[in-house]
Amino acid sequence: MRWYERIMAIDRRIIYLFLTLFIIVPFFIPFTIGQNIMPQTRRLFDFIESIPPDEKVVMISFDYTPQTAPECHPMAHALLRHCFGRKLNVIGVSFDPQGPGLAVEAFDNVAGIINREARNHQDSVIYGEDYIYLGWKSGMVAALLQMGESISSVYPRDHFRNPVDSFPIMARVRSYKEIAISIILAASAYPEEWILYPQSRYGLAIGAGLTAVMAPQYYPFVQTGQLSGMMSGMKGAAEYEKLIVDHGYTSELGSAERGMNSQSLIHILIIILIVMGNIGFFFSRRTK
Amino acid sequence: MKKKIPLYLCLLVGLVMIVQFFIPHPVSSQFNSIILKWAIILTAFAMILAIGNLIQHHAGRIARQQSGWFYSIVTLAGMAAMAIIGLFWGVRADSLFQKIYLNVLAPLGATMFALLAYYMASAAYRAFRARSLEATLLLLAAFIVMVGFMPFGRFIHSQLPSFAEWIMRVPNMASQRGIMLGVAFGSIATALKIILGIERSWLGDKE
Amino acid sequence: MSFDPWVWIGALLTLMIFSFLYRDNPVYRFAEHLFVGVANGYFIALYWHNSLRPNLFEPLSQGNMIYLVPLLLGLMYFARFIPPISWMVRIPIGFMIGWSSGISIPAAFQALVLKQIEGTVILPGSFANPIEGIWSLVILTGVIATLVYFYFSTEHKGVLRPASRLGIIFIMIGFGASFGYTVMARVSLLIGRIQFLLGPWLGLIR
Repeated sequence: MRWYERIMAIDRRIIYLFLTLFIIVPFFIPFTIGQNIMPQTRRLFDFIESIPPDEKVVMISFDYTPQTAPECHPMAHALLRHCFGRKLNVIGVSFDPQGPGLAVEAFDNVAGIINREARNHQDSVIYGEDYIYLGWKSGMVAALLQMGESISSVYPRDHFRNPVDSFPIMARVRSYKEIAISIILAASAYPEEWILYPQSRYGLAIGAGLTAVMAPQYYPFVQTGQLSGMMSGMKGAAEYEKLIVDHGYTSELGSAERGMNSQSLIHILIIILIVMGNIGFFFSRRTK
Repeated sequence: MKKKIPLYLCLLVGLVMIVQFFIPHPVSSQFNSIILKWAIILTAFAMILAIGNLIQHHAGRIARQQSGWFYSIVTLAGMAAMAIIGLFWGVRADSLFQKIYLNVLAPLGATMFALLAYYMASAAYRAFRARSLEATLLLLAAFIVMVGFMPFGRFIHSQLPSFAEWIMRVPNMASQRGIMLGVAFGSIATALKIILGIERSWLGDKE
Repeated sequence: MSFDPWVWIGALLTLMIFSFLYRDNPVYRFAEHLFVGVANGYFIALYWHNSLRPNLFEPLSQGNMIYLVPLLLGLMYFARFIPPISWMVRIPIGFMIGWSSGISIPAAFQALVLKQIEGTVILPGSFANPIEGIWSLVILTGVIATLVYFYFSTEHKGVLRPASRLGIIFIMIGFGASFGYTVMARVSLLIGRIQFLLGPWLGLIR
C-alpha cells in the first residue's frame, strides 16, 4: 500500500481512540485560554444588565433535552446566576416535553448555591417570590399566543401542581407586558416560533441560547433585531460564564469553560484528519 | 360527506384564523382565546394517540412473537413503570419520577447523541474531499470558523476571530436568509393550499 | 468514585450505549428500547399533569361546559381504532390543520418575509459606516443570488446562470460555516458524557 493510500485508510477505531484521548487529556492537564466574546453573546448579557429589577421579569423557556444538555444546561445555569445576582425575578416555562426535568434541576442547583451563600433573607431566592417554574404545556403556538393575553389562563397551575395565583410573583405578571425578555434555550426550532408569534404580535424581546447546530440559521434574526442576543453552543455558554465572572456575579467558571479545552483539541484533530484525507485523495488522483 | 365535513371545517377555521389576526376588537380576541385553549388540549390528545400507536405496535410484536419481541417487553415495561410512578407519585423535584428522568432517561438520550461525535469525525475523514471549487470553499469556510471561534484562534492570527465572525455575519447570513425566504414562501403556499382544499393528503386514502 | 446507586445506573447505561461503537449488540438494544419506553412513560405523566388535568378536566369539573367541545374533538382522534367510524379522525385533524395553517400565514409573512426583506434592503443610512455599507451590498447580492439558485421554474440561462453560480458560492460558504458549528455541537455532547463518567462517577475530575 502506498503512503497516500495508507493515510486514507486509517481504521475508524483508531480515530475513535484519538477522539476520546483528545477529550480526556485536557481534563487532567488543564490550561486556560481566555474566551473572545462574540458580539451577540455580549448583546444578550448587556440586555439583561439593563433591566431594572423592580419593574419587569425575565422569562426563560427550557426547551432543550438531555441530548443537548452539555451545550444548553451551562447556559441555563449562567443565565439564572446572572438574573438572581441582579435580583431579577424569573419565570420558567417549557414547550419541549423533555425540558421540565432539566429546568427543575437548573433552578434547584442555582437557587441552592445562592441560598447557601446568602447571609440574609434579602440575598436568598425563594420559590414563588423570586422565581417560579410553570412547567410544560402542549400546543406551543396556541400557548404562546394565549400568554400574550393571560399567562395564568395557559398555566393555571405550576409544574408542581400549585395554583399559580397563590404565588406573589404571579400577582404582578399577567402577560408579556410585564416581561422584559424571554430567553429560549433550545436545540430545535422553538426560538423561531417565539419570533413568529409573541415577538411579531406583541413586541416581546426575545433572546436565544442555541445549540451550535442551530446557531448559523438565526444570524438573520440577530441582524434584524428580532433576536436581542444569542448564545451559540458550548462556546456561547463559556462566554456567558466568563462575562458573569468578570462582572462579579460568581467567582467560578462553569462546565462549559472547562469543556472548551477539549473542544479546541478536537477541532485541531478534525482538521488534521480532513487534511490527511485530502492529501491522500489528491495524490491518488494524480497517480491515476 | 366523510371528506367534505373535514375539508369545510379546515377552510372555515383557516379563514377565521387569518381574518382574526387583523381584527383587534375584544370579541375577536375572546374568540381567539377560546380557540387557543382548545388547540392546547387537542395537541395533547394527538400526542396520546401517538403513544397509543406505539403501544399497539409493540403489543403486536409480542403477540406475534416476532424477532426481538423481548425488547418490546422492555419498552412496554419501562413505559408502564415510568407512567405509573409519574401519575401516582407526582413529578416534584425530589420525586422518584425526577430521579429516573435524571439518571435513566437523561444519560441514555445524551449518550445516543454523543455517539454522533465519533461518526462525524469518521465521516469527515473519509468523505470530506475538495473535489471542486464549491467543496473547497465549503472546507475553507469550515476551517476558518472552527479555528477562528476557538480560544487559540487569535494566537494563529489576531484577525482570525473577526474574519470568522464576518463569515457568519455576511455570506452565511445571506445564504441563510435566502433559504429562509424560500422556505417561508413555500410554507405560506402550502398553508394556503391546505386551507383551500387543493392539498388533501391529510385526509388519507380511504373513503 | 461515587457510591450513589443512581450515578452507577447512569454510568452503566452510558457504557451500554457506547458499546455500539464496537458493534450492534444485545446490551445496546436493551438500553435503546428502555430509552424509548421510559421516554414515553415520562410523556404520559407529563401530558396528564401539565396539560389535560389543569387545562381540560379541572375546568370541566368546575362547570365550564364549553370544554366539552375540545374533549369531544380529542376523543374523535381515537375513532381511528374503530373501523366503522374511523373517518371521524379527520375532523379534529381538519380543525388543527386549518387552525395552524391560518395562524401561520400572517405570522410567516410578518416575521419571515417582511422583516427579513426590511433587513436586506439598502437605505442611505446603510452607508453611514462605509465598510458596513459594502457588506450590506454583499448581503443583498447574496440573498438574491441564493433565491435565484433555488428558483427551478425556469432554466438558468443568460443572467440567471452567473447569478445561480454566485448563489451556490454563498450557499457553500454558509454550509461550511454550519459544518464548523456542527463539529462544535457534536463534540460538546461527547464532552458532556465523558465529563459525567470522569467526574460524578469515577471522581477523577472536579
